[in-house]
Amino acid sequence: MAIGYYFALSALLFGIGFVGVLLRRNVIVLFMCIELMLNSVNLTLAAAARMWGDADGQVFVFFVIVVAAAEVVVGLALIVNLYFRRGTLDVDVPHLLRY
Amino acid sequence: MTVLAQVAEGATAGANTAEIVLFWIFAVVALGAGIAVISMRNIVHGALMLVLNFVAVAGLYLTLQSSFLAIIQLLVYAGAIMVLFLFVIMLLGVDRDDLLLATEVRTRVLAVAGGALLVGALLYAFVGPYTGDRSLCGVADQASASSSAVACVGLDAAYAENDGAGAAFLGGRMFTRFTYPFELAALLLTVATIGAVVLARRRDLEPRDEDEIDPDPVADPDAGFEQHQRPTDAGATEHDRVEESARSGVEHGGEG
Repeated sequence: MAIGYYFALSALLFGIGFVGVLLRRNVIVLFMCIELMLNSVNLTLAAAARMWGDADGQVFVFFVIVVAAAEVVVGLALIVNLYFRRGTLDVDVPHLLRY
Repeated sequence: MTVLAQVAEGATAGANTAEIVLFWIFAVVALGAGIAVISMRNIVHGALMLVLNFVAVAGLYLTLQSSFLAIIQLLVYAGAIMVLFLFVIMLLGVDRDDLLLATEVRTRVLAVAGGALLVGALLYAFVGPYTGDRSLCGVADQASASSSAVACVGLDAAYAENDGAGAAFLGGRMFTRFTYPFELAALLLTVATIGAVVLARRRDLEPRDEDEIDPDPVADPDAGFEQHQRPTDAGATEHDRVEESARSGVEHGGEG
């Protein structure tokens, strides 16, 4: 399979996540769309690693996955706090930093 | 059945048939699941579609000779991260009331147009030079193919000279060239764990400062009870304070 098809698939997945972030107003769905975009970039890195015969791209993917896991842990804790304080998951509601 | 037979035949013949078939299967699944994630009204269904997307991407890693990444993708993304997502969704109990879409028509049109523009730019920039015959990985005679495309090197040589594919290669790199990023990743995970514990702690169970006097004890019945039970500062030893703060942190019942 030519690597360009993998790049095209990654671009389409990234676009789907991008449109989801712009369309939806639910914080959790926004977060899942960000995961979708991270995942598409990972696919690009793995495809490029195979393209150029240098598997260091896979190491990059590994570190991206680690950072994504840390981001999800902290972000979901923030979302839980937000929901307990506001009672909603609408991203348009919190417009003040405090109370 | 014919697909499986084709996959087996391609795998034995060393041709690209298996990879092509698997690519199209996983690509269609990944795209469909991705569209379902942003269009499902129920968040739980959206999260399950995201799991399907991650599994499809893991299959794509397999076709890219990245078997270790496929396993990591299944374990970390489809396993741990999505379980965390589903846990939070069900903890908050918000799986039914999701009607939170952008309401203005102008916003929707602009969002879709922006996404289409982004995807078009990415396709124009990155896809064209890599779709020719020479970009086919694993083809033996690349010299005879058309020279307009960028040639695919493949990972066989890199794996061969680093004695191992997949996990062995990544492990070797992780402890030689990328040692410091690896240590930093461990530190990052520790910090993230501590941060999540601090953020997720319930506010009403925090141990109170002993010298702080609650300005409005009536508003918080627990605080009033605690203030009533607290001995005077003159008579309290350090041991009593520690014991009381530990007791009030757990529960307030049963202490006369």
